[in-house]
Amino acid sequence: MIFFRKIPGTYALILIVCLGFSQCHDTIDVPGIKDIDLTNIPYTPVAFVPDIPNGFPALEQPADNLMTQEGIRLGRRLFFDPILSVDSTISCSSCHKPSESFTDNLPMSEGVAGKTIRSSMNLLNVGLEYNGLFWDGRAASLELQALEPVENHIEMGETWENVEMKLRRHPEYPAEFRKAFGIENSSFISRDLVTKAISQFERTIISGGKTRYDRFQRGEIFLTESEFNGYLMFFNTDPSLPDAQCGHCHAAPLFGTTDYFNNGLQESPDLEGFADKGLGAITGKLGDNGKFKTPTLRNLVFTAPYMHDGSFKTIAEVMEHYTSGGKNSPNKSAFLNDLHLSESQKADVIAFIMTLTDSSVLNNPAFQNPF
Amino acid sequence: MKILGCLLMLVIVIGIHGCKGDTDKEGSLTLHFKGTYNGQPLAMFSTKPFTTPQQLQFTHLSLYVSDLVLLDQANTVNLSDIELVDLSFDDENSADGGFAIRFDHLPPKEYSGISFGIGVPPDLNVKKPEDFPSSNPLSNPVNYWLTWNSFIFMKTEGRIDTIGNGTFGTGFAYHTGTDDLYRNMQRTIPLSIEEGKNKDLDITIDYQKVLDGIDIKINPQNHNPKDSIQIRMLVQNLDDALKLIQ
Repeated sequence: MIFFRKIPGTYALILIVCLGFSQCHDTIDVPGIKDIDLTNIPYTPVAFVPDIPNGFPALEQPADNLMTQEGIRLGRRLFFDPILSVDSTISCSSCHKPSESFTDNLPMSEGVAGKTIRSSMNLLNVGLEYNGLFWDGRAASLELQALEPVENHIEMGETWENVEMKLRRHPEYPAEFRKAFGIENSSFISRDLVTKAISQFERTIISGGKTRYDRFQRGEIFLTESEFNGYLMFFNTDPSLPDAQCGHCHAAPLFGTTDYFNNGLQESPDLEGFADKGLGAITGKLGDNGKFKTPTLRNLVFTAPYMHDGSFKTIAEVMEHYTSGGKNSPNKSAFLNDLHLSESQKADVIAFIMTLTDSSVLNNPAFQNPF
Repeated sequence: MKILGCLLMLVIVIGIHGCKGDTDKEGSLTLHFKGTYNGQPLAMFSTKPFTTPQQLQFTHLSLYVSDLVLLDQANTVNLSDIELVDLSFDDENSADGGFAIRFDHLPPKEYSGISFGIGVPPDLNVKKPEDFPSSNPLSNPVNYWLTWNSFIFMKTEGRIDTIGNGTFGTGFAYHTGTDDLYRNMQRTIPLSIEEGKNKDLDITIDYQKVLDGIDIKINPQNHNPKDSIQIRMLVQNLDDALKLIQ
């Protein structure tokens, strides 16, 4: 108490600072835009229970972003809304179209300022990937991933401050955010909540259990002779057939691992010489240069062109690349060698990959544009 | 108020002192797993001599270490059920530092040795990656081989120059797996864990010995069942290749 009496000015200052902080949140001071009180709108979120196919890994949700019907609805709307871009022309769905298995069929995606530097990734089962997102793995979570495209000058070219402002003054979004996250005031709409909502939607994009491969695994159907031969080579099951080396990186059940490999797309005499360093540019580890994330092969037929640089137009071209061993560099995957597969064997492997097709996901009403 | 304040301070001081005392009564152990080649730290992408005129460059080395136990005359102290040890270091300094795993809160005493498995023990090997949360070392499907119904216990990958001209044109990859290739390594070594101190123990694997007798040129990979002789040889070699150094 003596301490308090001796320096009242100090404590008064601390009190003022604390009160100041307690009033702080992500508000913007824009003339003519009034904060909207949302407390008259009921906040009764309904938990969403994801339907994960048997044999798939569990869908792990961040403790501070559990999925709700309202959050997913908002996320879907934001995913398809070009309001996130500087000129209202580009949305997430511009590069991740449901009809193309959430890719865009372009070698390099088109943003507000031209072409991006890499091809758009298939989002099937993206919520089940836990070891980095983007081709180079630079985002640790979907929430962090969703932060980047908005401020990327080629992709959306916008600032988060502007996006927040546009959403806060929007006639419908404040109520949607209230229903999803319980905010009391439109000024609480933030990039954090935007990315959380988009992530909730993306976690619903699950595909599995419906493909011919899945049904074969359950013993419901037989594969054709060609598909079965391809299966044996894909997983190197039959000693009398060559190993197509696919299963080392494209592991079941997702047919993409959470790891990164140098798949022989870039020639380099040393570890420094890759034009696109991929994972190495993020980790700073020399041995990671030239490595990229393994994408899923599910719905591959819909996601041409292929590879992080979109350099192959057809699956046959991809097959030719892998069976010939690819371009040399010190850390090229040990599994990339001249595989000596005959033309019919290559066709068999492709036939097996086609069994990973789930066209129902393309037309799933839950994934379509709500506008 | 003065008395109350003093009492409060006394309680806090006693509390802090008590916590410190508990920590001091325990010790810790750090295991440093290191890959070597002919006794020297093994960095990835560095050229190593193999059977003349062949040369090797390693690109990836990893292994599961399981059921880590400190041995004592009377009982044992469980350290860990499963760890994924990655020995793929880019330079010799990092390789010399090794892959470190620290175990705290160990009862201080003289231990008689250490025991661990190379691979995934049968009780865990019946499961699949999707049975584990993403934080578990067994969750990554890249370390599971569907055809074997087994986790891949140990990966030894690289590229070989088969004619000694500096062109490392052929990739090699030896992956071990299945229950019968799980190996328990028990080593008798006096380990003194002292109060408030950390004990360092190096566990080295010499990959020249690991590959001893394997004809990489003829059999550069082992995922095909017909190549199992190669990986049986590799697993047998582990016993000689693995050393503990205090």
